[in-house]
Amino acid sequence: MTVPLELDQVTLAVELGALRLEHPLVDASGTFDLLEYARRYHGDFFADFPYAAYVPKTVTADARTGNPAPRVTETSAGMINAIGLENPGIDAWIEGLPEWAALRRPVIVSVGGNAPRQYAAVIRALEAHLATAPRGSVPCIEGYELNVSCPNVAGGLQIGADPAATAAVVGACRAETARFLLTKLTPNVSDVTVAARAAVDAGADGLSLVNTFKAMVLDRETLRPFLGNRTGGLCGPAIKPIALRMVAEVAQALPGVPLVGMGGVMSGLDALEFIACGATAVGVGAANFSGFEAPARILGELRAELAARGYASPAAARGIALGA
Amino acid sequence: MTAMATDGHPDSGQWAETSHCRVSAVRRFGAFTALELVAPGVTAKASPGQFVMVTVPGGGFLLRRPLSLFTVHGDRAGLLVEARGAGSERLAALEVGETVDLAGPLGSAFPTRGVSNALLVGGGIGCAPLQYLADDLAAAGANVTAAFGFRDFRAARAAGAFAIERLWVASEDGAVGRKGTVMDVLTGLDAPPNTVVYACGPAAMIGAVQRWTIHEGLRGYASLEAHMACGTGSCHGCVVDTARGKLRVCSEGPVFALDEVTL
Repeated sequence: MTVPLELDQVTLAVELGALRLEHPLVDASGTFDLLEYARRYHGDFFADFPYAAYVPKTVTADARTGNPAPRVTETSAGMINAIGLENPGIDAWIEGLPEWAALRRPVIVSVGGNAPRQYAAVIRALEAHLATAPRGSVPCIEGYELNVSCPNVAGGLQIGADPAATAAVVGACRAETARFLLTKLTPNVSDVTVAARAAVDAGADGLSLVNTFKAMVLDRETLRPFLGNRTGGLCGPAIKPIALRMVAEVAQALPGVPLVGMGGVMSGLDALEFIACGATAVGVGAANFSGFEAPARILGELRAELAARGYASPAAARGIALGA
Repeated sequence: MTAMATDGHPDSGQWAETSHCRVSAVRRFGAFTALELVAPGVTAKASPGQFVMVTVPGGGFLLRRPLSLFTVHGDRAGLLVEARGAGSERLAALEVGETVDLAGPLGSAFPTRGVSNALLVGGGIGCAPLQYLADDLAAAGANVTAAFGFRDFRAARAAGAFAIERLWVASEDGAVGRKGTVMDVLTGLDAPPNTVVYACGPAAMIGAVQRWTIHEGLRGYASLEAHMACGTGSCHGCVVDTARGKLRVCSEGPVFALDEVTL
């Protein structure tokens, strides 16, 4: 029989591999711009940052301008985007680090590219900088997330759909850093555990899943593709059941590998479902677009959902869905 | 407790925080619906050109909809809605007494300091922010002339939602005002050399106004439309090409100098 707990009897801290997080929620890369908020927030956003770790928008070796407009639109129970990894490139990105050095959370840097050497170049440049940067001039960069699964750039999705190519990227990056290394998997494969295993065998410390589903929306008047990129990545509540299934499959295939589960998390119950499927941390993406308050609300709901079921911590609920 | 604001508004609330606002009046003008909301948290900080992100009520909608501030009177914020899809249809169907969630004001405002002659150019739903701008400029003593273009009879009925003393209207089917586009109105106007042009409307209209101001030697500003997801600078979904590179309409805009927009 379930004995509910008081809210303050729930401890939310989790250990994601070597990373100790205050609670399980992180932002999904590209959905939460720390600096934009910090510049406008009334107060110290670097202290009030709502996620347990910050995953910035993907950075690549060279600057990218991204895809032509339109880049986003709503779909049934979700949204589609084709931003195209718009970013200033690693050199300019590094120059900007002092602006958010005051962030008091671990940072997991999302890295993109078209080939192993491009991913490795980003990490090499950043590691070289971190080795010599004065104290206080950089945020606490504690890990990387290799984005081998962006559906909206040439080469992005193909890497994640090819286990050998995924392993090559992970291997090249593993050689550049001793920091915590996540690989973000694409759901656009028939068996997500194949690339998952390839990434772990090549040296990944953990896995994030899922990225968005490659999809298409038509302009309802012209019946032509609506997005400037023709196709985009589908996210939001529509994909949650598929994402849960994939997280559960990877958790069962690779027990003990730290997982960041994501895909359509809009509520605390959604986050708990990913934990029940084996995730240690949970990424929140599209929900950030529904309002400034989303992460704090989801975290409060997660605490309440754990307490209501008598779970004193996320770890106590982890993997519940994987049993018989 | 509300955090002390760094911009001198101690009780004005947090940036982009959501407020629950009651619909206090609804007026319908053809394809357009003018909503008035009790929104003191928005109106206390707002300037013409800024927008709000509006949650579509009733569930089932993931993304909020960006809507320009149409009017601001005391604690009342006016929004003009054109029903284009399921979300805006729901917003256009709001009734007095219903509650909607708003975040804002967001984005950049029309610069108005020192302007003595203003020419406001609007197309379709893009006319919305120009009413608030006209009110603001007129209160500051500027001479305001407006030229609005609408597609057809149903759209042109929106002209009835506006209260601007010198307002010229064109409609493409000739149902209301001059037959043609807003450019046909502009070319017939005699704008004093110190006129500042404020434009908001579809990209093709902004481009035409841009060429016209260059020809006339006038300066001005454009407020741009874009499909947005977050509205707060995070997703990079709403970027436009400018002389300064790709910029976000929601956070670097929606108001840009007319001569920096590349369409």
